[in-house]
Order: sequence, then C-alpha cells, then structure tokens
Amino acid sequence: MGILDNGLNRIKDVYDKKYKLLLIIPFALLIFSILQISYQVYSTGDFLNKDVSLKGGITFTVPVNKDYNEDKVTQHFSSRFQVGTSTRVLTSGGKQIGIILQAEIDPNNEELSQKFLKEIESYFGITDKDYSIEVTGPTLGRSFFVELLLASGLAFLLMSIVVFISFRTFIPSMAVILAAFSDILFALAMTNALNIKIGAGGIAAFLMLIGYSVDTDILLSTRVLKRAEGTVFERIVEAYKTGITMTITAIAAVTIGLVFTQSEVIRQIMFILLMGLLADIPNTWIQNVGILRLYLERKEKKMQVR
Amino acid sequence: MKNFRVIIVLIALVLSLIAISPNPFVEGVSIKNIKQNSSASLAGLQNPLPNTRQMSREIILEINNKDISSVKSYYEEVDKIKLNQTIFLKTNKAQYRLVSRVLDNETKSVDLGISVNEVSYTNIKKGLDLEGGTRVLIEPAEQVSKAYLADLTSTMEERLNVYGLSDIVIKPASDLTGNQYVVVEIAGANEEDVRELLAKQGKFEAKISNTTVFRGGKDVSYVCRTADCSGIDPNRGCSPFQGSWVCGFAFSIALTPDAAEAQANATKNLNIIKEGQNGYLSEKLILYLDDRKVDELNIGADLKGRAVTDIQISGSGFGLTEQEAAFNTLANMKRLQTILITGTLPVKLNIVKVDTISSYLGSVFIRNSLFIGLLAIITVTIIIYLRYRNLKTSLPIIFIMLIEIIILLGFSSAIGWNLDLAGIAGIIVAVGTGVNDQIVIADEILRGESRQIYDWKKRIKNAFFIIISAYFTLVGAMLPLLFAGAGLLKGFALITIAGISIGVFITRPAYASIVEILLRE
Repeated sequence: MGILDNGLNRIKDVYDKKYKLLLIIPFALLIFSILQISYQVYSTGDFLNKDVSLKGGITFTVPVNKDYNEDKVTQHFSSRFQVGTSTRVLTSGGKQIGIILQAEIDPNNEELSQKFLKEIESYFGITDKDYSIEVTGPTLGRSFFVELLLASGLAFLLMSIVVFISFRTFIPSMAVILAAFSDILFALAMTNALNIKIGAGGIAAFLMLIGYSVDTDILLSTRVLKRAEGTVFERIVEAYKTGITMTITAIAAVTIGLVFTQSEVIRQIMFILLMGLLADIPNTWIQNVGILRLYLERKEKKMQVR
Repeated sequence: MKNFRVIIVLIALVLSLIAISPNPFVEGVSIKNIKQNSSASLAGLQNPLPNTRQMSREIILEINNKDISSVKSYYEEVDKIKLNQTIFLKTNKAQYRLVSRVLDNETKSVDLGISVNEVSYTNIKKGLDLEGGTRVLIEPAEQVSKAYLADLTSTMEERLNVYGLSDIVIKPASDLTGNQYVVVEIAGANEEDVRELLAKQGKFEAKISNTTVFRGGKDVSYVCRTADCSGIDPNRGCSPFQGSWVCGFAFSIALTPDAAEAQANATKNLNIIKEGQNGYLSEKLILYLDDRKVDELNIGADLKGRAVTDIQISGSGFGLTEQEAAFNTLANMKRLQTILITGTLPVKLNIVKVDTISSYLGSVFIRNSLFIGLLAIITVTIIIYLRYRNLKTSLPIIFIMLIEIIILLGFSSAIGWNLDLAGIAGIIVAVGTGVNDQIVIADEILRGESRQIYDWKKRIKNAFFIIISAYFTLVGAMLPLLFAGAGLLKGFALITIAGISIGVFITRPAYASIVEILLRE
C-alpha cells in the first residue's frame, strides 16, 4: 500500500511539476497524425480511405453458411473483373454469417454490373432475394463526400462558436478546440494506418467525436477557470477524477460495441470513437492542462508586473 | 420542485411506454398489403393505410380453423388451398369468407392477394437496413421550386397507392449545396416496379397526325381496371413473334368532354380508307409514353369528326414463353393505367442510387444490438459502482440511463421515425453523453459536500454550466448533418439531438433531484 501510494504521489508530482515537458506527448501524437495524413495524401491523393459509398460503386452483403477466405474472395472477383474489390467477413459466435463485398463498379455500366451480380450469385450459390445491394453512382458518391466534409467543417465551426461563447477568453477556448482537433486527427490517422475504409457512417463518427472530446475539456476549463476553491493543481486533479471516469465508461462501452458488433457501420463508428477517446486522455489531461497552466502563469506574471 | 422534476420524468416514461405499446404475446401474421381485385379485397379486407401503427395492424390468426403462427405457416396453409375453394379467414378484427381464385397476372397458382409480415411486438419501426426493402434516391433533372417538389412527391405517393404498394416512405430531401432529391423507401418492393413507376415522368400523349389530342391525368376522367373492360385484348391475344411471344392488352378509358372535342377536331378532315365492310381513317391514333411510341391504333371511320368520350387504349408485352408474355403484358397495362390515373410528374427524374436490402441480416443485427446494449449497460454499471461505491449516487445513474433509452424509443415511435443502424448509433451517443453528464452532476454534488458548500442550488448550477455547454457543442456538431447529403444521416442526427435534449431538459434535472433527495436524508 505504501509503495503504491508512494508511486501515485510520484506520478502526481511529475504531473504537477513537469507539465511543460509532458506536453511533448500530445504534440508528438499530433505530429504523428499530421505526418500520417500527409503521407496518405501523398500516396493515394486523398486524406482518407473512402469506401464505395463515397466513391461510387456497389456494396453487396451476402449471407453465408460456410466459411470463406476474405483474400480468396477478393482475389476471385478482382482478377475476374479488373476492378477494385474489398471483402469483409461478418461473424457471429465464431461462425461466418455474411460477407460484405465492395466493388468499384460504375453502376452506369449496366453490362458489367449485371455480370458481377451473376458471378456473385453463382459464386455464393444464392439468388437475388437473399442478398443486399447498395449502389452509388460516382457523381453521387463524390457529392456525398463533399456534403459530409462541408457538414463536418460547419459542425467544427459551430462547436468552436459555442466554446468561445462559454469561455469568452481566447487561449482557453483555443485549447479546447485544439484538443478536439487533435482527437479527430488521431482517429483519422489510425483509420488510415490500419487501412480501414470509411463510409458515411464513419464520417458521422467523427462528428460524434466532436461532442465526446469536448465535454471533458469543458469540464476541465470550467473547473480551472470559473472556480476559486483550492489551488489550480488541486482543481485539475479533481476535474481529472470526474473526467477520467467519463472517458473510461465511454471507452468501455465503445470497446464492447467494437468487439461484439456484426454490423460494418457500427464497427466503423466504434473504432473511430475508440481511437478518439484514447487520444482524448493525453489531449485533455496533458495538452489542454498544459496550455491552461501556461496561460494562467502568464496572466499572473502580467498582474505582478502591473 | 424537486418532486416535480421526478414526476415529469415519470410522465415521459409512461407516455413513451404507451407510444411503444410493447406486447410480447402477439400471435399470427400481420397484413402488409392487399392486392386489388384479389380474393382478399373482394372479401372486404382492406389495404393498411401507410401510417398505420404496427400494433394497430390487422393480424391473421386462423385460416380454415388452423392457427397461423408465422409467415412460414401462413404460406403452408395457403399452398393447400385449391381453386374456387371457400376459405375462412380469422383476423384480430373480423372474420372473412374468401373464394380462392387465380390472379390474372399470376401463373396457375392460387393467390389470395395478401402479403404478410411477421407480427411486431412493439410500435418501434425498423429502418430499411434492419427490415429489408428498397431505397431509391431520385434526382429531378432540373432545379424545381419547393412547391413543385411537394407536388412531385404527392404524385409519386398516389402512383404507388394506385399501383397497390403500401409501406412506402416518400420524402423530399435536399443537401447543403442545394441539390434536390426525393428519397423513396419501400418495404419489399422490387426494383423494376420502382423504376417504372417513379422514375418515369409518365408523360402520356395520344396524337393524331402529330397533334396531341389528349394527355394522361387531367384529360382522362375514368380508367377501367376491372376484368370486364381491361385485360388481355381478346381480339389480339397472344401470338409467337420472332422466336418469342407477344400479347396485346386493352382497357377502356373515358375522356373529358374537352379532350373529346379536341379529338373530333383532329379527325374531321381526315380521309376514309375503305377496307372490306369497315373503313378507317387515313391517320392513326398514336400513343406515346415519355416520348416513346407505345402503340398505334386505327380509328374507325364512324368516329370521324365525332366527339366520343369512350376510348380503348392498347399496348403489348413480350416474353420468352406465352405465360411470361402474358404476365409482362398485364404488368405493362397496370403501370400504364396507374400513369393515366395519376398524370404526368412535373419534371423528368433520374434514379441516382438504388439500395436493395435483404431482411436476412436485419434480424441478426437487431439481436446483436440488444446484446451489445445489455453488455454495455452492465459494464457501465460496474464501472460507476466501483467509482462511487455508493448506491445512492450510482443506482440513479443506471436507472436514468434505462429510462432515457425507453423515452428515446418512445419518442421515435411517437413521431413514426424508422430506427436504423445509424439511429442505434445515435441512441448510443445520447445515452453515453447522458452517463457522462450524470457523472459531472454526481461529482459536483459530492465535491460540494466535501467543500461544505451548503447551497445545493450552487452545486447543481456548477454542474449544469458544464452540461449545457457540452450540450450545445454536440447540438452544433449534429445540426449540419440534418441538412447534408440528401438526409441519409438525418436519422442519426435527429435521434442524437432528440436524445441529448431529452437528457438535458428532462432526465438530468430529475437525476440531480433524486440524488439530492437521497443524500439529504
């Protein structure tokens, strides 16, 4: 018990005294995210890995009752039709229940689409009543993508406005916004790095992340700036106790969703949320805390000079 | 005041339960659709109205005194029925006597004309990705006004109703860059029907020597759809044609007096060509649908210059076999009749996206979501308890979390919103935010305790500043999604906004009151 307490106190001490040094951690994460995303743009021309619902193409969801090898299925269809194909398996209790096949076919090319349909039916031994088809033309896909990008930009802007109205001071408000921004970039970089394709649901997840990441930051800034009890550091530690409970419950719920879901949409959403929430811990409790403390120190110095 | 907040939550909870009206003991199969002129419609069974709540649908309980427990058992019973047999059908509303017959467009099999669904146990409407069906995104070829778009959707709705499809959602949608769309969702319709009925502008014109004499819609006062004056044309029938089969259909319509007058003017100067006993006019009546020729008809010599209102409309269909040709011909006729009744759509339309979702995986997803939900609730409960080790604080959090889920489901049933996968994600966000907010409240109250702030109002006010700021940031983040990308993520945004609003204005204040009441004792 004594050793544990001792250890905890040491960590607390480092957290208190070395907060400037600790800032390296969140900013290293931010730089990693920016580098990854730049690399993604450099190598693919796009800052994220769009799925066919944002790019144009056809998604097939096929129920199966025996196990298939993802790579073999992809290989089969991509070599036969010479189009970008990707496959994902849906499992339930260790058994495969369905396969999601995405093919970058322009649905306006009816001949190719029909051939592809026939091949799916014969490959999996099913009829058209059994499986789902989602078709997006390339123009519409592009327009959806632009729309969602626009919506995300607006969402970020509205969030920033609310934060500025709440705190009415420039640096603390910017710290909250920067934390949210860093969370989102990290989640994006991780989806890219793990080569996860993002559809409309995934973009919605980034918007959810805005909400989830901002609330701990608002909690922190409110407790630090708008309360007078105790020292700044004591207020930070108390806010941390509340905030980390919030984040841990959210991480637990999201992880359960990620591990157990059978829906591709939900899986995408949960992965993005999980990455964002993980990043939110250093981004709130080191980055935002560090910036707030620097801000308060400067403010104090100015007061003394006067 | 404190009790008052709790009472509001309880009222909301009761209203939600009424809206959901769960009943796990429902048996039978629910009626989804009744075909026109079928045994069922002749026996008085009615097509459910599009907005009928699931729990108020008519449910088939028995066929010929045999209990029906599932869609499978329904079809097993129907397959036993022979032609011209009298069937007793018992529903939860009435008893019917049907006489089985072959529907004209079917092959030889007996069809009662009823399509059925498994019964629902609640009023919660499942979205397309959970229930299965067809979703079509249609874009007008040119920019139109809002009123025009509303006209468009009402004509489409009428078309689908006249055609006999129910369970349809048709809604205009737009996006941030000003594109306009119409989203059509139909449970279980086939894509061909949607393509033919909705994306066709349905501009029907009858021309004589290149002058239009009448159009579909307003020039037509009556379209016959009963067997005595519509069906396979007895004069033409079906015949082999270039290796396949072709059949002709005919049905009679009545023109308005104005349209009849126009026809008289167009025929009065035409020459009569004699052929045997009958003569006909030198120009034919040519029928066009969306500028494509459907058929051409000779006009009898006796009609020259006369304003007749009764007209025969005809057309044809092809197929590899005689049966298939007859089937296609009658399908063509039904669509043409529908278009003549409902008239032309105000603009040309393009189908830009078609999703056909099979219902198979939907039920898997629902069971899975419930399982995940339960597991998540248990985990959150454990974490909250470990954190507070105090039932007075942690129990209400769990309690309120469950109430919030019910109120949110009740809300979406009450407004008739379809719950799809994105909507489930929305519920997760809303409930997750709810738990977070309650942690903030609990900590502010407990902190106040240790810092000896005796003013409860102040403690709660502190918490609510944080909650309200977080609330508005999330609303701000979700707002643009309500209007983006043809509204495909609107369900998600709406459920999220509704959920966090219910939380902030109804359940959060109640939580604060409950904890205050419990801790003060």
